[in-house]
Amino acid sequence: MSVLSLAASSSSSFMLSSSATCSSSPKPPFSSSSKHPIKTPFVGFSVAPPQKLWIPSTTDLSFNNGGSPRRSFEVFSSKTKDFVRVPLDQRWMFEDYEVDGPDIWNNTWYPKAADHVNTDKPWFIVDATDKILGRMASTIAIYIRGKNLATYTPSVDMGAFVIVVNAEKVAVSGKKRNQKLYRRHSGRPGGMTVETFDQLQQRIPERIIEHAVRGMLPKGRLGRALFNHLKVYKGPDHPHEAQMPVELPIKDKRIQKQK
Amino acid sequence: MNKGKIFKLAKGFRGRAKNCIRIARERVEKALQYSYRDRRTKKRDMRSLWIQRINAGTRIHGVNYGNFMHGLMKENIQLNRKVLSELSMHEPHSFKSLVDISRSAFPGNKNVVPAPQKKGLQILV
Repeated sequence: MSVLSLAASSSSSFMLSSSATCSSSPKPPFSSSSKHPIKTPFVGFSVAPPQKLWIPSTTDLSFNNGGSPRRSFEVFSSKTKDFVRVPLDQRWMFEDYEVDGPDIWNNTWYPKAADHVNTDKPWFIVDATDKILGRMASTIAIYIRGKNLATYTPSVDMGAFVIVVNAEKVAVSGKKRNQKLYRRHSGRPGGMTVETFDQLQQRIPERIIEHAVRGMLPKGRLGRALFNHLKVYKGPDHPHEAQMPVELPIKDKRIQKQK
Repeated sequence: MNKGKIFKLAKGFRGRAKNCIRIARERVEKALQYSYRDRRTKKRDMRSLWIQRINAGTRIHGVNYGNFMHGLMKENIQLNRKVLSELSMHEPHSFKSLVDISRSAFPGNKNVVPAPQKKGLQILV
């Protein structure tokens, strides 16, 4: 949508008569196109950069809207504020109902490729020290799958990345520490291996959290891809400082192990 | 011929189902049955998706879907779930105001009188 703001078309005179679609003057016009999740390019349409006042976009306010697609003032939507008219020489490309832009209110939004690039996804970090395993894993799975976002789509990976540190300190209640069994089977007869929670924590502590979260993610191609967005580490360090992970907000009140 | 029509409908099928008429005929029949069934389930699936999106959108503001819809019904706001889900994605400020309207109409059921506790053996004491 902001992508459309290409070089001025020949119908610039027509453009000046259109209603206000202003590029925000502080930033260079059209450079923000790479940041906007909705990148639905509108075919054949080029909007001349208008020389009008800059009206601050309401979406510029810091509004944590849970990943809903941020739209700039340049976007068109036929029914809300921005009202861009198709230039006369391109009108032949559009049907009557399309001249004012794509219909977003009668069609359910489906994310385009630019709405879920991995490099733009948020990263979260959880410290697993003394957190109840299942409750933490449940919240992690919700964030990885993207179910906390209003833009949730079941067929598309819209979720975030989650880092878990101090995996060896995760807690379980009751007698699970010695009684919870982890089983795996090699496929051959007699190939079942059974381990307790304690033994597995001594051996490979990351696997406990991975096992828990994998069981809560969907099973299938997409689920396996989602699982790769979980990063579990044994100590307090992790190599993802460059992604600037944010603390994962956990709303469960019973997640801390009661001493 | 009929075979031509079958092969036309069998485009993109896996393996011999797109090439060999005996297999393609079966698969195409099945595909048409699925499409008949799914034209009906699509309506259900879409509504379910809208509800999930609305749920996520309202939980950002601390209200769950059930209480939100109850509040809207009380205020006689007749926006349907499709539009509400699109609002939650594209018009977050308007959606927040809707959540506030709903919250003021129905603040939740925290103040509900608790069910009478069973006395049990306490009576004997």
